[in-house]
Parts: sequence; C-alpha cells; structure tokens
Amino acid sequence: MKKFVSLLLAVAMVLSLGAVALADDEPTTLAVCLASEPDTLDPALNSAVDGATMVSHLFAGLAKWAQDENGVLVIAPDCATELPEGVVNDDGTVTYTYTLKDGLKWSDGEPLTAGDFEFAWKRAASEELAADYGYMFEVVAGYPNDLQVTATDDVTLEVTLNNAVAYWNELMAFPTYFPVREDVVADEAWATDPSTYIGNGPYTMTGWEHNSVITLEKNPNYHDADSVTLDKLECYLSDDNNNMLANFESGAWQMIDAVPTNEISRVSAEYPDEYQVVGQIGTYYVCWNINEPILPEGSELTGAEAEAAEAEIRNAIGLLFDRNYICEEIGQAGQVPASSFVAMGMTDADGSQFYENAGHNDGFVGYFDVSEDALESNYEQAIETLKKYYEYDESTGQFTNFPTLTYLYNTDEGHKAIGEYLAAALSAVGINMQLENQEWNTFLNTRKDGDYSIARNGWLADYNDPICFLDMWVTASGNNDVQYGKGEHADLAMYDLDLTELGYDIKVEDGTWAETYDVLISTIKSCTDNAVRYQLMHIAEDMLMATGCIVPLYFYTDIYMIDSSIQGFYTNPLGYKYFMYCTIDE
Amino acid sequence: MMSLGREAVCVNTKTLMYILKRVLLAILTVWVVITVTFFVMRAVPGGPFMSEKAITPAAQAALEAKYGLDKPLMEQYFTYLKDIVTKFDFGPSLKQRGRDVIDVIGDGMKTSAKLGVIAAFSALAAGLVLGAVAALRRNKLVDKVIMVITTAFVSMPSFIMGSLLLVVFAIRLRVLPANGSTPAGLVLPIVTLALYPMAYITRLTRSSMLDVLGQDYIRTARAKGVSGPRIIFGHALKNSLIPVITYFGPMLAYIVTGSLVVEQIFAVSGIGRAFINSITNRDYPLIMGTTIILASLIVILNLVSDILYKVVDPRITLE
Repeated sequence: MKKFVSLLLAVAMVLSLGAVALADDEPTTLAVCLASEPDTLDPALNSAVDGATMVSHLFAGLAKWAQDENGVLVIAPDCATELPEGVVNDDGTVTYTYTLKDGLKWSDGEPLTAGDFEFAWKRAASEELAADYGYMFEVVAGYPNDLQVTATDDVTLEVTLNNAVAYWNELMAFPTYFPVREDVVADEAWATDPSTYIGNGPYTMTGWEHNSVITLEKNPNYHDADSVTLDKLECYLSDDNNNMLANFESGAWQMIDAVPTNEISRVSAEYPDEYQVVGQIGTYYVCWNINEPILPEGSELTGAEAEAAEAEIRNAIGLLFDRNYICEEIGQAGQVPASSFVAMGMTDADGSQFYENAGHNDGFVGYFDVSEDALESNYEQAIETLKKYYEYDESTGQFTNFPTLTYLYNTDEGHKAIGEYLAAALSAVGINMQLENQEWNTFLNTRKDGDYSIARNGWLADYNDPICFLDMWVTASGNNDVQYGKGEHADLAMYDLDLTELGYDIKVEDGTWAETYDVLISTIKSCTDNAVRYQLMHIAEDMLMATGCIVPLYFYTDIYMIDSSIQGFYTNPLGYKYFMYCTIDE
Repeated sequence: MMSLGREAVCVNTKTLMYILKRVLLAILTVWVVITVTFFVMRAVPGGPFMSEKAITPAAQAALEAKYGLDKPLMEQYFTYLKDIVTKFDFGPSLKQRGRDVIDVIGDGMKTSAKLGVIAAFSALAAGLVLGAVAALRRNKLVDKVIMVITTAFVSMPSFIMGSLLLVVFAIRLRVLPANGSTPAGLVLPIVTLALYPMAYITRLTRSSMLDVLGQDYIRTARAKGVSGPRIIFGHALKNSLIPVITYFGPMLAYIVTGSLVVEQIFAVSGIGRAFINSITNRDYPLIMGTTIILASLIVILNLVSDILYKVVDPRITLE
C-alpha cells in the first residue's frame, strides 16, 4: 500500500514537472490560439478568419498587409515588385500588369512563376472548386469559368477587370488570391498534411496534429526571410473560450484570439496591458422578415400601402433600443453603437469614413441619433409613429393591439442577453416579443429560408469596400435573409430610383425591389467613376434603411489577449493577425 | 466419465450458441443505429455547406454533386451501407475538405483510447485498493473517509468535476495545463474520467468484500491458521471481484460516453469532440462514422463483459 502511494506521488511529481517544463518557451517561439481546427488551409477554399491568418503566414500573394515605419497599416508589394495602376482599355475594362520579384521560390525550393498565379486564380474562381470565396473574383473579367488572367512570361502576370475596382490592391493581399502550384494541389488532401503542404510564405508548416496544434517554422526560401524575426509559431487549436483564457492565464499560450464574454470585465481590469480591443469592419444587427405582417388585426391597409406603413413601424421600433446600454452592459468589449448598416472602418470616396457620411443628417452620424441624449426624443418619436397604427393606452403607456413577435437567435449567451434586452425594451411599451433560439446550422437555414419574423444577424466585411454590405441584399443573393424581392414583396411596386442627376439614364417610379435595388447594385458594379460610385452606394444604403428591415445595433470589435512581452505584432481590419515580425522581450 | 464429457461439450455448444446469438444481436443493433442516425441526421435542418456567407447556388450544386448528396436519399443510404460493408469505406469529410472520415476518426481514436484505457485501469486499481482497505478497516476512520469521498465522486457529474479540477489545478495552482493537447494536459481529463468509476468500484469492492469476509470458508481458513494477507489476497479479494468484473463493461461504456463531455471541457482532440463537431457542422459522413464507432464500442464492451462474467463464475448460465 505504502509503495503504491509513493508510486502515485512520484508519478504526480514527474507529471507536474513536465507541465512546468512545457510552460517554459524558447525565446523565438510563440504559442498562440486563434480558434479550433481549421476546416481547410487551402488558400482558395478557406473562408475563416483564423484560417486566413495561418494562410497569410504560409503563403505570399502579390501584395501583403504590412506596417510602414510609423506603424501605419498599408498594403505593400510582396511577390510583386510594385503595385501598378491599372490601364483603362477602350471598352472600359481595366488591365493590370504585374512583374514578379526575381528568384521567387516555393518552400520546397522549386521556382515560383507567374503561371502559378494564373493557375491558382482560375482554380479559386471556378465553379468546379465551389469555394466559399470564389465570388472574390467577381470583379475579374470572365468570372467564374473563363477568368481573364494570363502569365505572359515567367515573371509577368496580366489581369483584366470589368471596371476599375477601388479595393483591387487589397484583394492582392487576400488569401483567395494567393498562388498555389498545380502539381501540389492535384491531390485533394494536399492541404491536410505538412509533408504535402507547400507554400511560398514566411513560414512552412512542419507539424499538424489534428485538433491539437499546427506548427509553423520559418521558411528559408521566402524571398524576404531575413526580415522575419519569429522563428516558430505554434497555433494551438481550441474552440473553448474558457479553455483559451485558462491557458493564457497559466502562461502556456501567449496570444488568444477570443475572451469569454462573462470574463471580459475581470480580464480587462486584471490585464490592462494584455487585453486588446481593435476595430473590425462588421455590424451586429437585427433583421426583419419583410414578408412578416405586423399591422394590427383588422387593418385595412394592403399591398404597397401596408408595406409602406410597416417600414415606418419597423423604423420606429428600431428607435426604442438603447444601443449604448447594449454595448456597455452586454457586449462590454468596446463595441460602437451603430446607426447605419455599412460598418465603421469602411472608407468613403474621399478617404473619410463612409458611415460618417451616411444618412445625410446634421448634428449626428447615421440614420438616427444613437447618443444617450437622444434616447428620450427617439422614444417619443417612435411612440408618435406607432400611435398612427396601433391602439395606445395613455394611462399605462402601452400599446394594446400589437401582434406578438418572435425573436430568433442562435444559441449563445451573448445573443441571448441582447435578445432579452430587446424584448424588455419592447415590453415596456406593450409589445410582446418572445425569444426563440436555435442551434447554429439550423438557425442559418431558418433565417435564409425566411421562416422567422425577427432575427439576430451580423455581417463582417471581406474587403474595405461598402459594396460587400450592399450587394448581399439583391433579390437573388444567398444572403438576402430579409427576403427582399421574394414572396409577396416581389410584386410590391413602391420604390423609386432616380439616377439621372448622376448621369445615368435610369429613372424608375413605383418599381419593384428587383427593378430598383437590383438595378442600382449592378449600376454600382459597372461604375467606373469612383466618386459617383460611392454616391450610388450611399443611395443603396438609404434604400435599405428606409425599409426598416435592417436595425443596426453596434459595430463589431475584435478582442484578443497578447502577452505584454511581445513586440511587433499587428492585426488588419478583417481580423487577421500577423506574427512574423514579432520579437519577445526578455 | 462419458456422461460428464458429453455435458462439457453440451455446455460449450450452448456457450458458443449464446455468443453467436449475442454477436448477431450486436450487428443488428449497430445496423439499427446506422439506419436511424442516417435518416434522422438528414431530417435535421441545415446542411454541410451552410455558412454565414452563403455560397452561390451553382457552387452548392457542384458540391452536392461531388459528394453524391444530389441523389435520392434511399440511394444514398444503400450506397453508404454497401461502402461500409464491402469496403469499410466511411467516405470523405464534407467540412474538412481533403480528409477521409476514417483518418479523422483514427486521429481522434488515438487520443480517446489512450485517455479511456488509462482512466479505466487507474479507476480499477485505485478502486480495488481503496475498496479492500475500507472493508478491512470497516467502521474505522479510514473507511468513513473513503466512503464520504467516494459518495461525493459518485454523485458529482463529470462536467462539474472537470470544471472544478480545471479551476483548481490549471488556473489557481497552475501545476497542470488546461488544454489536453500535451501529455501533461491529459492528466486532468484522465482523472476526471476515472474518478466516478473509481468511486463506484471502491464501493462495490467494499460491500462485496464484506460479504465474502463473513462467509464460512473465510472463517474456516482463519481457524486453520492461514495468514491474514493470504486470506485477503488468495480468497477474499478474488471472490469479491465478480461484481467488479460485471461493472467493467458499463464502466468502459461510461468512459466512452463521458469522454464526450470531458474532451469538450479540456479541449482534448478525441473522438468525442470530433463527434460533437460533426453534428454542429452537419458533416454527414463524419456523424455516421463516429456514431458507428462509438455504438460498436459500447455493444462490443457489453458483450465482452457478459462473457467474462461467465468465465469468472461458472455457476452463471448464459441464456
């Protein structure tokens, strides 16, 4: 018995020694945790932020996100010698010609040519591959199956776009545009095993224990290997925020890309230097199903008249929510109250913030005033509007015949807390909103099919151009959760579109959604005048916001924790993290 | 002599028939599991290619055609059964493109099996020792302490025990890592998994040993002057093992299912986590694969434990 106990003790001691030894890291190695096992690390197939971070360390595109000498984030040439201006052709298309740097190599030492880019882009855009981000090539002529990109020789790549694209250089740094080699990707399993994973970036993959850890080590064949300061990056894989935090606090991991919401107040106080909040281009919002009737029973309004009334009602209801409360008391991660749909961080034609110019209002930014001072006037305005359609009991301050609503969200404590707040705010004026939650995949399906009345929603940008918040609402879009132009809404001829002042021969009165909004979006996509294009995008957002179906709550932030001894780390507005130039203070 | 021999053959045939019957039943069980899972899984809303940012209908159609999801459901079912039976082919994962389900399961199994086997044997060893000690020191302080502790362990669900151990050892004391991706990180999940069966075995061993210690043959052995340790190890412990052995099957089943929760808490990349993720992702082939493996494991473990039971105690007849 004694022997057994002492043996147990000995084993426990050895194991705890092991744990201490593991917590000790070599100076040029970082252990980080971005998320759980990535679905894929194939640059063309990846559509996740954590995957994009890893792919950005393993591959190099024509351009990259970098910091200039002042620490300002810029798009800099990577494989290309420079990022040239496009040449406008007679037919309005734009051609870019890139020259690759000399002596580029793949991580296995093979030479990298312009042909590899041509192959990679055609592959990524093709319907055959069916990549989530295939549509990122939509701007290139010949999309999807006949992409106008040609390697004219080993170092020259020529690509033709349908029209000038303001964010083209940024796309060059987007993982979907990274090169892959034909013989490497011929085996579909290439991106799942370090031995077949061949890239051209600052790192090579030297280990992938599935669901556990992915190890990246410096790639001596990277063209700019000398400036890479971090030798080794261990990406631990976990989807449990509490587990991530436990490992960060125990010192095992030096950077984690998420913090459990209920720990934010403690963590931000205990780790002021480590806890980081940065902007992220995205909007958290509530969406209405446009075909959901909300007029009181017995209302005589029908068709376009009913929809006009409902748009007014939805907009009024949007004014009843205190977005500052949501950000400060529920979100707690530095979120910014939102009064427009296109997120903060998107730039306008003149370089200013798009959201600051939205709504064309004096005295406040966006389509309504989100400041705390405006709470009362917003409330009064909302009540006055709603009184037009519903019976209001002055003595109790409650509406008595508002139909019961159901708010749908995906199962998550944070979404639930927001749902509860929204329901409480509505119940204060006599509107009963029930909460219903669904598991993620089911939720996506329900929302997409329009089987809901009100739902939680969110959208993160893929590139810095407002169009990625706007083209999702055309009738045929797979992300048209509101159901614009579908069902009953398809036949409602009630929207106006007048672009004559902007030099277009487009003037529609009382048109359907397809005749107005869809036309507007395709006009934007073919517009070559940047200033006009941005004006058109403001018009598109005005149309969206007028329907009241999109109720923005806040602009997203990206929160993470990083050990204070780490220097040279940066992130981009899409949430990608960059570790290659990190150094660790002793 | 003759009649005895025939009886032995008779028993053997009976045993064989029993085993054969049980094996057939096991196969039937697994088939039912496959069938029910296949159709229920497909009836759940959502799909493997569903994401926040919708892919184009053309891309969706291309993917469905690639994985045969565009065929009629019954045809998919029979193709699936045929591939499993004839080629042991579980198909490709829909979410982790480029990987086969069998690889994903193999990866998970390596970790889960390590976890499960260590947990099972440590539970058995510790449980037997503690149980024997408690029985021999009946109503003494040691016994009472062991009983109180085991009662606590038996009544505490693994998700609470796991969280508790995580807070104490990984966050407060910082002696063990919280994630199960390193060898040291497996200590806490193993302990979490082992505590419940250990406590159960302790209690089983104690009561069964007390029962045996009161038997006439123990008293006879004592009267004949057999030494204490010999009585305990040679007679008492051996005979008190029978109920423990019957518990071994359910215990392994408990560990297999318990690992679903424990792997999630400690982020251990085992089959339990692969199973849960596959459901969230609607990764149909992976859901089927993990379900089949887990179901087969439980069926096989129960079968083995029933047969063992018979081997240890010849008085038991298998029907």
